[in-house]
Amino acid sequence: MTAATATRTTEAPASVAAVRSFLGKRRRRSWVDWYATGFALVIAAIYISDFLASPLHRLSGQAGQAAATHTAALQAVTGAGLVIGAGAGLLLLAQALGPLILSPADLSWLLLTPLSRRGILRRPALTAAVGATAAGALLGVLTLAMAGPYLRPEGGTLPGSWLALSAVAGAGSCLAAVAAEALAQPGERARVLVRAACAALAVVALAGALAAQGSTALIRAVTAVFGGLATPDFTIAAIASVAVACVAWLLLWRAMATFPAAALRADSARSGRALLAAGVLNFSLLFWIAEDNHWRGRLLQSRPWPKLSPAMTLAWADWRRVGRRPGPLAVVTIASVFPALLGAAFTGKAHGILIAAGLVAGAMAAGLQGTAGARRDTDSAAMRRLLGVSPGQVLAARTVLPALLCTAWLALALTVLSAIGALSGWWWPLLALAGPGVAAGVLRLARTAPVDPSDRGPDLPMGNTPPWMISRFISIAVAVAGSYPLLAAVVQGHDGAGKVVAQPVVSAVVLGIYLMIAGGMGR
Amino acid sequence: MAYGKVVVLEDIDLTASEGEVVALTGVNGVGKSTLLSCLAGFRPPSGGTVSVLGGPPRDDPAFWRAVAIVADQPTWYPGLTVRELLELVRMTHKPLPGWCVPVDDLVEIFGLTARADASPLSLSSGQRQRLSIAAALARPSSLLLLDEPEQSLDAGFRRELAALLGDEYAANGGTVIMATHDHDFAVAAGARIIQLSDGRVVDPDDDFGTDPDDAGTGYDEDPADKPDEYLAEEPDQAGHDQ
Repeated sequence: MTAATATRTTEAPASVAAVRSFLGKRRRRSWVDWYATGFALVIAAIYISDFLASPLHRLSGQAGQAAATHTAALQAVTGAGLVIGAGAGLLLLAQALGPLILSPADLSWLLLTPLSRRGILRRPALTAAVGATAAGALLGVLTLAMAGPYLRPEGGTLPGSWLALSAVAGAGSCLAAVAAEALAQPGERARVLVRAACAALAVVALAGALAAQGSTALIRAVTAVFGGLATPDFTIAAIASVAVACVAWLLLWRAMATFPAAALRADSARSGRALLAAGVLNFSLLFWIAEDNHWRGRLLQSRPWPKLSPAMTLAWADWRRVGRRPGPLAVVTIASVFPALLGAAFTGKAHGILIAAGLVAGAMAAGLQGTAGARRDTDSAAMRRLLGVSPGQVLAARTVLPALLCTAWLALALTVLSAIGALSGWWWPLLALAGPGVAAGVLRLARTAPVDPSDRGPDLPMGNTPPWMISRFISIAVAVAGSYPLLAAVVQGHDGAGKVVAQPVVSAVVLGIYLMIAGGMGR
Repeated sequence: MAYGKVVVLEDIDLTASEGEVVALTGVNGVGKSTLLSCLAGFRPPSGGTVSVLGGPPRDDPAFWRAVAIVADQPTWYPGLTVRELLELVRMTHKPLPGWCVPVDDLVEIFGLTARADASPLSLSSGQRQRLSIAAALARPSSLLLLDEPEQSLDAGFRRELAALLGDEYAANGGTVIMATHDHDFAVAAGARIIQLSDGRVVDPDDDFGTDPDDAGTGYDEDPADKPDEYLAEEPDQAGHDQ
């Protein structure tokens, strides 16, 4: 066996730039890669511009006309609250991902080497900075757009400098926040603090938006602030945020030289898996990552199985899980205000298809909290056989929790909508009996086969439609069918009293049919 | 050493000297990988001290010049061939003042000659494991941490690897600490075998800890029966901070 060198050399240590150049020259990117990247960017730009067209149109709104209507004012305040809430949500997401992370290959071959840590992190830091700048600038402009009709620029036309300064202020704030998150990344306690600060900002923004629904005084106060804004205010905001961002990034630049490998390894590995799972729509893996992240390091106390019927005993696992992890349920509960806020921000009124969509989506999200045991990748036929129960019995037992969760969430959301006057009539919360109908769709969604990205599916008139997409659309359709009377009442704004009788019947029929079909399938 | 409230390792007292091969054995979940993580500085101990090459794990260029680790399954650069990957490892560790194996020799020793110009992504799992270990030997180091290096390797190559670690790497002054389930592999590498059970070091004369069927037998042992410590010289730091 040959092995060599024991001599000392005068060779200089390699720089990160030289290593990146070595890797870059061997990347072997074909024109197809460039084409795919460019095409994806163009499509993303089209979708984003389409999404932003409506809010940005408000920038050209005439102040005098819009200020007179209560609906427009409500829309402005709610919209501003939602934009700030979305910003806080983005920061929470960035914190969950890192925000400083290395690519899996860099993690394997560059991190644990004598190379300069700062040099290795330069590229991820630049990526984080570009992302933060783009998102922050967008949020800044969106916030300005929400206030658009109430701004009182000299001469009546919105100056371009206001737009630019809003973008700069938004970008600076976002950059500073991301740098703070990166500085907090190595310490668990600091991360908890950052997470709490972002969550508090989101809650305050949403609470403000919600409070505006019933408070004319609040709307008047906020729109008065919008009306009082002048060029110096935008300038000060932009300069201050850029100054804070510069300080924060300077601190981060210093910290990057000794950024701990352990934190980078853990965050990069988790984020790499999560991004890969999201990229190929592997929901099971995303669930697994979230669950693994939560349960790892926690010491649970075993509890005896309850003395219930065999089918309910199996279903009890979901009740126990929800009891052990109430956090996501609490988040979903808070989200019950969204249908009211979405309606106010986008349509300026409570009725509308948007609120109906919010109700179905929210109820399904609540119901999914109780379907971990029913999921196809976690369901254990062995346990069922051991206890001697049929698939139908187990499925029926597992329906109870999601049905209750859907019903409770709908009751809460409808109560909020009633309380703020968006829906008139005391009986609206009774339509929460749509819960069991939605639960049928939720259970179907949970039991759907994992996504197979390689399966392109049948060639339909609208193009190739993958089976996973068809299957998930059917699940949503089942949920919509199960809650049809409620949704029809909300969309049409009819007197929904008659629907109170129809809804439980429809729920029972849809759920019954689903249990009959799915329960007989033998898994 | 604990993960949250879960205590994984307790009362660990170990010393490994320069040029020694140490094999950590024990049933799944006993804490072998966690101990390696502690030595690499990825996890700070919840109590006591960890000293590597004369000081606590430092996570600086000098430390990573001296310490090589093969733990997780690595991710490969899509554009690099086997040979280029090994060249990259040498490049990232330049200058190369200590004992290491040149790329051409590594490719031959690790049985990758026919695949030297192929992408690691096209290799079998066993070949990838060979490449991971080869990469650790492509650059000089004083301490080599290996987490179950025998995984996916055929019996014949395990023997060759054991000889390479014991007769070449350790003989040239390097220290190897590896977690392994293969007792024969550890013996072939001339390793001092440390058995872990229930998060503690147990008497090497007891044979529990190596057989999964014996996993529970150590639980009733008196911790006081464990050996006082494994005495050895403090490692020499000379040559680590090049």
